[in-house]
Amino acid sequence: MTDDPIGRLRAMLLIRAFEDGLSARKAHGFQLLSSGEEAVAVALASALTADDQLLTGGRSIGPALARGVNPGMLMAELLGKTAGMNRGRAGRGHFAAPEQGFFGSHAVVGGNISVAAGVALARKMAGEPGIVAILFGDGASAAGALYETLNIAALWELPILFVCNNNQLSVSTPREASNAARRICDVGAVFGMPARSVDGLDMVAAAAAAREAAEHVRSGRGPAFLEMSSIRLRSHSTTARETRSRDELASLRLRCPIEREIARLQGEGLLGEMEIAGLREEALERARAAMVFADASPYPDPAEVLADVD
Amino acid sequence: MIYQLSVPAAVPGVEEIRILEWHGEPGASFESGDLIVELETHKAVVEVRAGQAGVLRSVLADAGDWRQVGLCLAMFSDGADEALPDGETPSDELVVEFDVL
Amino acid sequence: MSTELATTRMFFREAVRRAVEEEMARDPRIFVLGQDVGSFGGSYREFDGLFAIFGPERMRDTPVAEAATIGIAAGAAAAGFRPLAVITYMDFLMLGFDALINYAAKLRYKTAGALTAPMVVKTTAGAQGQGVAHSQCIEAWLMSVPGLKVVAPSTPADAYGLMKSALRSDGPVVYIDHKRLFPTPGNVPVEPAIVPFGQAAIRREGTDVSVVCHGYMVRVALEAADLLAGEGLSCEVIDLRSLAPMDVETLAASVERTGRLFTLEEGQVTCGVGVEVATRIFARIGNRPWSRLGALPAPVSSNPVLEAACIPDPARSAAAIRALVRP
Repeated sequence: MTDDPIGRLRAMLLIRAFEDGLSARKAHGFQLLSSGEEAVAVALASALTADDQLLTGGRSIGPALARGVNPGMLMAELLGKTAGMNRGRAGRGHFAAPEQGFFGSHAVVGGNISVAAGVALARKMAGEPGIVAILFGDGASAAGALYETLNIAALWELPILFVCNNNQLSVSTPREASNAARRICDVGAVFGMPARSVDGLDMVAAAAAAREAAEHVRSGRGPAFLEMSSIRLRSHSTTARETRSRDELASLRLRCPIEREIARLQGEGLLGEMEIAGLREEALERARAAMVFADASPYPDPAEVLADVD
Repeated sequence: MIYQLSVPAAVPGVEEIRILEWHGEPGASFESGDLIVELETHKAVVEVRAGQAGVLRSVLADAGDWRQVGLCLAMFSDGADEALPDGETPSDELVVEFDVL
Repeated sequence: MSTELATTRMFFREAVRRAVEEEMARDPRIFVLGQDVGSFGGSYREFDGLFAIFGPERMRDTPVAEAATIGIAAGAAAAGFRPLAVITYMDFLMLGFDALINYAAKLRYKTAGALTAPMVVKTTAGAQGQGVAHSQCIEAWLMSVPGLKVVAPSTPADAYGLMKSALRSDGPVVYIDHKRLFPTPGNVPVEPAIVPFGQAAIRREGTDVSVVCHGYMVRVALEAADLLAGEGLSCEVIDLRSLAPMDVETLAASVERTGRLFTLEEGQVTCGVGVEVATRIFARIGNRPWSRLGALPAPVSSNPVLEAACIPDPARSAAAIRALVRP
């Protein structure tokens, strides 16, 4: 678990190092990275327990690492290697590691929201402990599937936490042009569930808000909605062109949630320069190890193309 | 005079019904408007009511039995003592009204 | 056809209900969700009385939200339940295609077998005066989705047996009733029995042409066969029952015997069921004379004249078969 400040920082540094390493690899496939959104993933994961399940949209790598999914298996999966948790078939958009608390990503925007509600319904019907968290972007907040699911989750008091990672952009469309609600969390409030918005660049505030929302769901009082505002430091995907100016990106980088948390920990005397350097190096080493593990794994045999269809 | 009660074509597309319940046994007199029998289609219940006075003389299909639309369900007569025709002699249709519920 | 089995006569909806009740009693993981499936008993009364037996948790009414209904069913299935999602009209299935096609049908594959979505989507197809968005037969679209099973009974016995198989399948399965079949009762085995997927049924034996069809078109084909029998033309009528997987064995054997294939469907013939039937048969036994009939390439209007003009009927089917056999 990443329930302590240093653990949370470690998790954020791992996500950044992992994604940087992936994007630096020559053949890295089609990936959606989450630089600038690490605190959102880590805050949410810090509020979840081993009994819980996390589902995401296509921007899945950071949340899965935050959840504790094995980095080597994840890297292998992303690169199409058989050592991946789904033998490299699912990739970023669709991998699943339910035994590690990550029920799966589904890269059709908004598509995993109702699936997550189904997982939550199964929990409720089976009387099993644990809640379900669904993480989606501000783009998905415009999709009809969200509203159908919010309604049913509220009616049925499902144990599901809706988390919108509002990174301000849906490919090129700014959040203001994609959702008419004053705050995205207002769409949850309409259905009577606790709903709030929090600064997703502030690790401490985000973690506290995630814990509060998760506790509400865990108490059996139905769903909750949490909007975490973040920034996207890269283009939409590894194949999408950047739509923002260099100046804008430079000013965004000054708001990096990781550096902000490091500065806070330093300011509070919890971390020194040496320790910070050590943590950075440790994250780079884990990312490198994940890449070594993935590179050592073979691609599937072409004959596997017809396995597990029916 | 002798009358026959046949399965009415009460619901479009229905070719066969199931007898749900008779509301009288042979010998019972019916006035116009009295409920004679309820028939079941795939989705509705058809209440068959007498459109004329008459005496139920014999029932040819019991509750739970299936009958095609147009087949005879029961024989009626004006008087309780009139002799029923033997065999396949066609009789006039009893005047009925029906409601589809 | 085995005649020694004791049967009892019932409506289509009662056959469905019996299958669902038996399977729900057998397997506590099965639950039903959809519009009006609770105390109302289903839009077609196909769940009459099940609410009293199984209660609101397992006979679960949903709001009008087809996309979320199928998505929730898929998620619950992936998490260990066996939901039966009810979509009143097949046309509305399109609202839930993401969860059904992008998620559920691919789940086993994409997780390399770690997760499955053992769910059934039950829906109804076919024209019955309800217009352009309540009449379609889009089963051919579904047949082209790897990982999806598609079945369509034409008799109450098959409705019973296929629904039981569907609820035991590791799915996902789309189970399709045809609305025009509902008024007609049929005999169903008294003893519980399943109809396995992938087994077609020969409804009428014949020697001149194999007529392959499913759903309500089986009745149309049988009436056409009656018309043609008077002219000395003998039709073998085969009911697919299971479209995916398809019983190519039975189909090919029939066409080998009769030497000709006629495919009849209520949906569009372009990229239709008939094309797939013909292609698979001919891949196995070589080409034979073949023609096809389906809806005209137009939407199906609620206008009774236009609807009847659009959908195959026995007379047009007979004419097309005649033209194939006696060109």
